[in-house]
Amino acid sequence: MPSSANASTGAKRRPNLETWNRKIHYYLGLFFLFFLWLFSLTGLLLNHGQWRLAAAANARTETRFERGIEPPAGEDDLARARDVMRQLGLTGEIELPAAAQAQGRFDFSVNRPKDASQVKVDLSTKRASVQHFQNSGWAVFRIFHTFSGSRFNAPGSHRDWILTSAWTLAMDALSAGLVVIVLGSYYMWFRFKRKNLALGIAVLAAGYACCALFLQSMWP
Amino acid sequence: MLYRWTRELHLYFGLFVSPFLLLFGVSVFFLNHAKVAVDRWTSVDTVRDVRVPASLELLRGREAVDRAREMLPQLGVTGEIGFTRVVTATRHFVFPVSRPGMETTVDLDLDARSAVVSRRATSVLEAFAYLHKMPGPHNVALRGNWVWTQGWRWFADATVYLTMFLTLSGIYLWYAIKAERRIGLAMAAAGAVTFFGLIYAVIS
Repeated sequence: MPSSANASTGAKRRPNLETWNRKIHYYLGLFFLFFLWLFSLTGLLLNHGQWRLAAAANARTETRFERGIEPPAGEDDLARARDVMRQLGLTGEIELPAAAQAQGRFDFSVNRPKDASQVKVDLSTKRASVQHFQNSGWAVFRIFHTFSGSRFNAPGSHRDWILTSAWTLAMDALSAGLVVIVLGSYYMWFRFKRKNLALGIAVLAAGYACCALFLQSMWP
Repeated sequence: MLYRWTRELHLYFGLFVSPFLLLFGVSVFFLNHAKVAVDRWTSVDTVRDVRVPASLELLRGREAVDRAREMLPQLGVTGEIGFTRVVTATRHFVFPVSRPGMETTVDLDLDARSAVVSRRATSVLEAFAYLHKMPGPHNVALRGNWVWTQGWRWFADATVYLTMFLTLSGIYLWYAIKAERRIGLAMAAAGAVTFFGLIYAVIS
């Protein structure tokens, strides 16, 4: 175990790349600790839908209500959806339908990790029908893994809620941090484990070989 | 002794799992920011005289997927079948087949015994994103109908378990260095405040 004296002596020296790399490895790891745990555990839940816990996360409470509203105002569908949400007291990420709105109707959904609402507005009667889903605690936990407000295979989907953008920024930061931690660890290993480099090379090569095996075998 | 063993295991488990962590990490940027037109096919081919399993249109769930899989060699397609769908009005049997690097849709005319196979080649980053999402939470009863998807599930799980070990052993290794405790605690506290603050803001 390293003594504090050694570490203190090291700290008195001018910090070099090795020192900074080691510190960044600790500090990034500690900063992102809770994020890593969340994405690891929710990753397991997402991959094992047959687990009782994952099945319990699918349970949600449904309620419906109708309310009279003023005709939605705004220059585009997003602004109109925001206006309807303001009138109904809803908050979250808006998802507009991919297809054009039917004549006399204005439909969209609003999503947050804890709940989701499907809003159907009849413009002629000025009534909004809302189907509201309240997610269970485990579902909320799981949804954070995928809560980005944007799908790469749905070009029309965009983030429009500031908190979705903030959470996506956190996901990006975690990913960038993870890449830095991994690359930094290669450097640390190479610098400090020169006596037993062969074992490290073998283990690293085994990891890359497994990854490459999947990509090569699955690739067309 | 415990410190030494923990450090060695942290290092070697970390080295082994590092390519998987890079794959999962890099693919997040694609999943969060990329946009792909999924209806732009690279090729569309018609295959005739397809040997169609009997009563295919009556089958559901895993049984339908298994029978659909039997036809894949005739169609020159391989990969994970997402789901199956019968269009009763036109008597067509439709199913998507995906793998890293290729998304395929098979539209089989049950009466004419011909299939239109539409393929879309994907980029390397989209392939990483595909692996990131596999096997995923949808169609649990069907998922893992391709041997490579089953195998990948093991490695995705192993990545999680090893990451949990790396974080816990990392905490132990950091805490052993007294000179780093104060700043480390500050970083962990800053991370916790950011994490729980964001969670609170999103769900409140």
